[in-house]
Amino acid sequence: MEYISIFFQYVGQYLKTRLTYRADMIVEIFSDLLFQAVNLVFILVVFGHTNLLAGWSKDEMIFIYGFFLVPFSIFASFFNIWDFTDRYIVKGEMDRILTRPVHSLFQIVLERMELESLFGVVTGLVVMFYAGDKLGLEISWYDPFIFILLVIGGALVYAGIFIALATIGFWSDSRTDIMPMMYNIGNYGRYPVDIYNKVIKYVLTWILPFAFVGVYPSSYFLKREEWYTYAFLTPVVGLVFFLIAVTLWNVGVTKYRGAGN
Amino acid sequence: MQNIIDVQGLKKEFKSFSSRSGLKGAFRDLFTRNYTIKTAVDDISFTIKKGEMVGYIGENGAGKSTSIKMLTGILTPTDGKIVVNGMNPHKEREKFVKTIGVVFGQRSQLWWDIAVQESFRLLKKIYNVPDQQYEEHMKDVIETLDIGPLLDKPVRKLSLGQRMRCELAAALIHNPPLLFLDEPTIGLDVLVKLKIREFLKRINEKYGTTILLTTHDLSDIEALCERVVMLDEGKIIYDGPLKELRENWAEGKQIQFQFSEEATLEELQHLTQEHLVVWEKGESDLVWVASVEAEETVISGVIGKVTAAKKIADLKILEISTEEIIRNIYVEGAVRHG
Ligand SMILES: Nc1ncnc2c1ncn2[C@@H]1O[C@H](COP(=O)(O)OP(=O)(O)OP(=O)(O)O)[C@@H](O)[C@H]1O
Ligand SMILES: [Mg+2]
Repeated sequence: MEYISIFFQYVGQYLKTRLTYRADMIVEIFSDLLFQAVNLVFILVVFGHTNLLAGWSKDEMIFIYGFFLVPFSIFASFFNIWDFTDRYIVKGEMDRILTRPVHSLFQIVLERMELESLFGVVTGLVVMFYAGDKLGLEISWYDPFIFILLVIGGALVYAGIFIALATIGFWSDSRTDIMPMMYNIGNYGRYPVDIYNKVIKYVLTWILPFAFVGVYPSSYFLKREEWYTYAFLTPVVGLVFFLIAVTLWNVGVTKYRGAGN
Repeated sequence: MQNIIDVQGLKKEFKSFSSRSGLKGAFRDLFTRNYTIKTAVDDISFTIKKGEMVGYIGENGAGKSTSIKMLTGILTPTDGKIVVNGMNPHKEREKFVKTIGVVFGQRSQLWWDIAVQESFRLLKKIYNVPDQQYEEHMKDVIETLDIGPLLDKPVRKLSLGQRMRCELAAALIHNPPLLFLDEPTIGLDVLVKLKIREFLKRINEKYGTTILLTTHDLSDIEALCERVVMLDEGKIIYDGPLKELRENWAEGKQIQFQFSEEATLEELQHLTQEHLVVWEKGESDLVWVASVEAEETVISGVIGKVTAAKKIADLKILEISTEEIIRNIYVEGAVRHG
């Protein structure tokens, strides 16, 4: 596959550039870690004294948070498209993208990747192992494979939603606050959905399926069999949302107006 | 010969929304929005053959960039048919863009933060150019454009002229048979302009590269293009040889006399009464300009009569410049065909 070799060329270039600005990279990793620590402290404080919330223990909550970090970090590394409208539509950078023989979305992924965010994968794994150990969870030989599948599914859910939002830019380049709002909504996916009311639960499952990034897949590892159907739907939902988003993107590209210089 | 570009009835409309004023207006905007349609390119047709260098000219806002963006697959036409290199640009975009090179003078195609050669390397990968072809071809390009010393500098540290030469080289990495240049010489000094023109001529001769370029500098066109397509308010108002444009429009010549003694209009008119001459006063009291038909007998007749009667210090025969011709055409809004 040509795209894979292009991908590695970009990664090589990225690392080269980053290594010349080593200080920046360290600051970035550090601020990422700090951000994750704050989130973890938040969970500990909120759920610290309740021990049990809608049938979920504190350690299970921490485990879900740890799992969530993995697909989220992968998403954050490769789909930095929250400023797509500004950067590519309003400033007309899309012109340049469209004169090159590689799918436009793929090019933007390559140009905007932030590999430092992948550090969150490590944090996530550490948090999961810590919580899993406390919960006495056992790991079978096939679990790592299922984990990878569920993580990919979760990352695709995130990617799908944010790509779909970015495509709005092709139709209207007016400024909206929808992106930051969606980041906030995304955070709800890392708490068990049964602590919310029915409507929110429905939305987080089928409309903005952020629950497939945290709770649902985690419930497989937590041996919560009542959620298994949802857990295994994760890759399917991820794929469906991602494909819908890419289709929207492809239609959007034909509506691109350019910046009139 | 085959047509590289074939455009029939091409049209592009931009819808722009306007908002009503006041709270009531904003509320109404929620349901129906006012918009105006701007036709940037209005039903144009032309063909370009392999190896041609065509100048695409027109005033600001005439629709040049919009046409180029449709030809390169960036914008989807509102209407009309485009076949470039045998393909429909926006339908088969990814396959199509491998066969063209694009340079926008107003906008960089290179990555801002990385060294020029790293940009080239990424592009080489993107266009999937084999090592050997790259080495051979780019060595020549780098040499001709004289950008060897710039290769390890990041793009943001280059001057405009340096960057522009790198942009050109980047557009040619895959040695495309067709090159689109939108104002490639904007803001450049004369030397860089000359270098770029020379380079374009060279690749046109060497590889038979077809070139379509827009510019506001008509000397670019004079140096490079035999054919011009002139656009005005989205419509083609002239498409033909530059030479013909000159011949049809530059009918007259101007003879500028600098006298050593005072001259009056009556006196000069009286001297040249047998010819059709329009006299105008020049920069000073001693300078007079005679506009005459571009015919030898008239020119020498006028000069003979005037110099026989009055002492002159200097004499110039002025050709009307292309610049002036184009300006006249814009003012009149259409082209007379001769
Ligand atoms: N994205 C856009 N949205 C709305 N109107 C646009 C857009 N792009 C161009 N236009 C309009 O279309 C017309 C043609 O613009 P275009 O950029 O093609 O002109 P041009 O001939 O390249 O001019 P210039 O010499 O200034 O570059 C202009 O009136 C411009 O305002
Ligand atoms: Mg333009």
